Amino acid sequence: MKNLTVTVVSIFLVVMAILPHFLDARWQTVAVTFLIFSVVALSQDIVLGKAGMFNMGQAMFFGMGAYITAILNYHYDWPILATIPVAIIVPVLFGILLAAPIVHLRGDYLLVVTIGFNIVFVQVLINNLGGVTGGPNGIFGIDPMRLLGFELSSQLAIYYFAFIVLLLTLGIMFNLEKSKVGRALHYLREDPLAAESIGINTRLYKIFAFGLGAGLAGLAGTVFATQYSAVSPEAFEFIQSVLFFSIVLVGGSSIPGVILGVFVMFVVPEIFREFATWRFFVFGFAMIIMMILRPRGIWPATFGKIPKFLIKDTKHGA
Amino acid sequence: MAHSELILTNVTKRFGGLTAVDALSMTVAPGQIYGVIGPNGAGKTTVFNCITGIYKSEEGSVNWRGEEIRGLTPYQIVDRGIVRTFQTIRLFSQMSVAENVMSGRHIKSSQRWWHGICPTPGSRRDEKEHWTKVGELLEFFNLEEFAATPTASLPYGHQRRVEMARALAVDPTLLILDEPAAGLNDRETAELVETIFSIREKGITVLLIEHDMELVMKVTDYLTVINFGKKIAEGTPEEVQKNPLVIEAYLGSEDDDDE
Repeated sequence: MKNLTVTVVSIFLVVMAILPHFLDARWQTVAVTFLIFSVVALSQDIVLGKAGMFNMGQAMFFGMGAYITAILNYHYDWPILATIPVAIIVPVLFGILLAAPIVHLRGDYLLVVTIGFNIVFVQVLINNLGGVTGGPNGIFGIDPMRLLGFELSSQLAIYYFAFIVLLLTLGIMFNLEKSKVGRALHYLREDPLAAESIGINTRLYKIFAFGLGAGLAGLAGTVFATQYSAVSPEAFEFIQSVLFFSIVLVGGSSIPGVILGVFVMFVVPEIFREFATWRFFVFGFAMIIMMILRPRGIWPATFGKIPKFLIKDTKHGA
Repeated sequence: MAHSELILTNVTKRFGGLTAVDALSMTVAPGQIYGVIGPNGAGKTTVFNCITGIYKSEEGSVNWRGEEIRGLTPYQIVDRGIVRTFQTIRLFSQMSVAENVMSGRHIKSSQRWWHGICPTPGSRRDEKEHWTKVGELLEFFNLEEFAATPTASLPYGHQRRVEMARALAVDPTLLILDEPAAGLNDRETAELVETIFSIREKGITVLLIEHDMELVMKVTDYLTVINFGKKIAEGTPEEVQKNPLVIEAYLGSEDDDDE
């Protein structure tokens, strides 16, 4: 199973590395957004899939990263690259601060609170807090990224920027699986009381999951802001959080599952664009049937990621 | 005898108007296999929950090697070397046996949070070291062939062993077993007795709740009998067996419990 995941992810990455050269401008845009959404969905997977917390506010952290890049670049003339650390750290801090008082809440209550956060965030943007968010229209005219004197303004350059961010995210996801922290998240999702009784500070790890998820979503936000050279509040509405939430559920909490989820939930509707709003009708039904037939997602998480030397007898092995 | 490991003094736990544990005192010495018995609903598991930090007792003191541990959280108590199993097995059911046992190594691991994002040679070595320890435990509990099997698909008796392996992975000083023989057949119970003795040989103190009187009489050095949250007797198994109060409260009603 593990080898299958590695193979599938490798093939996917090779395809993605050469893909933009075969796409026209419109599909390049779709592909960039696909990469960005994959990063956000993977960050949501850390919170929802791994740690099992019903977070319905991931679009807020995504938007926070995008707006930080936009504000620092537009109002304070920071180069895009310099905004990246801020676009990561501020969402991380908000993730930690907002999560700390709420992570003890049971699933459905946490869901409602995170929806609330998301709504407050969007309202702050619309009401132009501090006169820097640009109100309902957002901010237009963000500079392209500059690296070593080159202006990376082409769609292709942005694609590879997004691709590198996805690679980084995937690297973190793989590292997490092979670490104490990553396992602790799985344990606390499976049985918080058992996890606590075996010595795991569940509260700390829940907050960690929120912080890490927020940081990655913030980074994705920077890419998003550079892609459109603009940010506006509606891109980070609560309904976007629902999309990321559904992606993880429909895809299943595994790396291939989440990416498939983004494909099914974002790229497939783009493909059937000519059917206008009818596609969402079919799409809604497909989603319902999917969750009935495969309640754990298209490609559910598999466990048994244990060192080979422990597997003595393959006939009982998973 | 060395100093006492665990001293409970007048521990009282109430749930609304119900007093589940009423001014219970007991003293566990190092290396002992200490039994807590009593009829169903006597408050045995509540006592364990008060020791392991799942509940905080309203009154009294829980002293562990000279330190007051009442009010600490479960993970802080595990950190002090006290670890438990559950009456109703609580494993991480979708995860493999080896991963379940690995959870017990959590507090022994030197990895910090950033190693989950960016591993270092040191954290990889740490990871390897603890997996090796997991391998040893799987061998001890004869679970090697199931290392990669999800625990949910194991028979009940095996799940009990996984839970004990997980608890022992913490390298505890005090192991608390909540009805370890529940749901086991005779052969598995006999194996359990052997396991409990070999755990004691590792220098681990064992505190157990048990319903199976035969097992209790066989393995424990010392017993406390509780009924309606109160201690009604204590002593060696022989002494307790002869105590008329115990016979009335517990042994006399054993038939009803066994149904």
